[in-house]
Amino acid sequence: MSNLTGAMSIAIGALLTDQAALQTTSNNIANVNTPGYSRQRPIMVEADPVVFGSLTFGNGVVLQKVESLRDAILELRLHGETQQQSRLDAVVSAMRQVEPMFSGSSGDIGDQLSKFFNSIQELSTDPSSPARRQGVLTAANNLANAFRTVSGNLQQQRNNLDLSVSQAAQQVNVVTKQIAKLNGQITMMQNLHQDTSSFEDQRTVLIRQLSGLIDVSVIRSDNGLTLTTVSGTALVAGDRNFDIGTQMDVSGVLHIFSQGADITGTLGGGELAGLLAVRDQKIPGLLADLDTLAAGLANALNTAHRSGFDLNGSGGGDLFVPPSAGPGAAASFAVAISDPSRLAASSDGSPGSNGNLAALAAVSDQPVVAGQTPRDIYANLVFQVGNEVSNGLAELNASTLILQQLQDQRGSISGVSLDEEAAHMIEYQHAFAAAARVVTTVSDMLDVAVNLGRY
Amino acid sequence: MRVNPNYTPGLLAALATTQKEEQKALQEMSSGRRVNVPSDDPTAAAVLVGNHSRADQADQFLRSLSGIQAELQTADSTLNSVVLALQRAITLGVQGANGTLSSANRASLVGELQGLQQQLVSLANTTFQGSFIFAGTESRTQPFVADATQPSGVRYDGNTGVNSVAVGDGFNVQVNIPGSQLFMAAGGGVFQSINGLIVALQNDTGMDIAVAGVRQAFDQVTAQRVFYGNVLNQLTSQQTFLNNSKLALNEQENQIGGADLAAAASQLVNAENARNAALAAAGRISGSSLFDYLK
Repeated sequence: MSNLTGAMSIAIGALLTDQAALQTTSNNIANVNTPGYSRQRPIMVEADPVVFGSLTFGNGVVLQKVESLRDAILELRLHGETQQQSRLDAVVSAMRQVEPMFSGSSGDIGDQLSKFFNSIQELSTDPSSPARRQGVLTAANNLANAFRTVSGNLQQQRNNLDLSVSQAAQQVNVVTKQIAKLNGQITMMQNLHQDTSSFEDQRTVLIRQLSGLIDVSVIRSDNGLTLTTVSGTALVAGDRNFDIGTQMDVSGVLHIFSQGADITGTLGGGELAGLLAVRDQKIPGLLADLDTLAAGLANALNTAHRSGFDLNGSGGGDLFVPPSAGPGAAASFAVAISDPSRLAASSDGSPGSNGNLAALAAVSDQPVVAGQTPRDIYANLVFQVGNEVSNGLAELNASTLILQQLQDQRGSISGVSLDEEAAHMIEYQHAFAAAARVVTTVSDMLDVAVNLGRY
Repeated sequence: MRVNPNYTPGLLAALATTQKEEQKALQEMSSGRRVNVPSDDPTAAAVLVGNHSRADQADQFLRSLSGIQAELQTADSTLNSVVLALQRAITLGVQGANGTLSSANRASLVGELQGLQQQLVSLANTTFQGSFIFAGTESRTQPFVADATQPSGVRYDGNTGVNSVAVGDGFNVQVNIPGSQLFMAAGGGVFQSINGLIVALQNDTGMDIAVAGVRQAFDQVTAQRVFYGNVLNQLTSQQTFLNNSKLALNEQENQIGGADLAAAASQLVNAENARNAALAAAGRISGSSLFDYLK
């Protein structure tokens, strides 16, 4: 047999469930702009029925759980794309600062190269003129200076990148520490069978932040979450984090260590990987090319200069300080003579001869390194730098678009829609009002039942 | 499928893109250049390195050219004076060959010829910007010095060096003739022939041979002078060529690295329109949700 108290308890259960549902709606609305928040929804199920003889009655509603809507695979893809995007962003920003040194403006190496060779042509019209001789020396000094400036700036750029490397490494440690702490809390709550979704949201935000800094691989297991770099260096295991540290090597560059192992060359994503790629590959590559050009140019010009005679008829010496073999030729590029009369313009020892200037000027069109003229080598450097930036930009744009799409997808699953929440709010409100009505009606009926004998 | 309710990041990204395009178009229009940094067009930037250097070189060739032009003109006009002096000597020689002249008249002719000789030595020692132009490449040493031990009375201290100057890619011009070749040609020469004429006048004998000697020197100098005229002509046409190639290089540079202003302007307008549309759409959407209709 059914009874009024049964109906009353169903209605009261409905009131409680609707209140709880309204609470999730309210929480969703409150977190509409919280980064990383995943919308929640109440999962309502029918209560177990009551059987009276041959009759089965429904027994109201039960709020089974409050569920967070998120797609774990999508989050992983977002972490991965964030690593790519941050790496490319770091590369492009660093290379953009290198680019102006090769922008073809007046005073860059290419400009000084043609000014130097032009000053030699100028001297050939009057080889004994002191002013024109000084002009050649000035142009030679400017050329040497341009090489030293660019090479110095590139070196400076590497030092600046080291600063960013050490900052990023510190940030990695801050974030991994927070993730480890959250891991501990989540495990504890899971053991107590409590809802961990808000902590999981926070952890996802932190892993995203970590992905911006370093490459992260996420491994889920029964006893919590483990984070490593893609090449396997542990960052977080359960409630423990493993700090990474920086240490300067003999050449003055920062290396990254984790638990005593040098992991500098193993990073493949995040800001750190981008910074290290520019610092350890791209800039050293440019410096090496500059060194080759400087050494080839100085050697060829010195050879030509030594075969001539100066204003006093003495044999010509070196025009430039002979470059060191290997790295540093551009950084130490310098003119060897300061007395304009020591310029070896003459091919026969007479002061008015300009024969050797033709030999010096010819270096401009001679292959000085690997079959390339100085101008070709420099043009190639300009192309390299430009290509590096423009390719990097294209990749960065593509990666940014992918990231946007993934975020859009994430938003379509986890994002809070105010329209949706408003609709739910109305549903819950109406359900609540109806249940309250049932309570009143049952109450009236109970009233009648209680007073049955009095009529 | 459920749509992403948060349109702000997408909107901001779209606005950033149009803003970037706007800035790029603006930069192109204000600088007049399409390639401002190498990454704007790496290939064009590399080509422009060579283009700049060739344009600078053409400028330098033009400067070199006008420098040697002045020197060559000085040499040419000096040789003109030499030719005039030799003509006067021939006239004097012809007068002296007239047997009716008194010894006093011959003496006055000798006097004038000695003056001419001095003038010729001085012309042969002409300098341009401090350099002796007929000294070969010994341009800092006075090439012609009076020396009684020489049959011509003049010693040559210069050398036989010649200089060439580049006035074009692979185009070199010789800019001097050594003084020995101009004034001291084998079998005579300017100074020796005048000296011969003076001696003939003083001795009143062998005048015809002496005058013929001066004529030969005159022919020699006139023939050599043609060289200067030729080089000057070459320089004039090379100047035109260089100016044309400078124009061509500028034109090329504009084509490779210059901004297409019309395209940049329409890009700017497009970007502006896109931006305004995005802003207008954002302003319209953001106002409403279902909450606005609840009472």
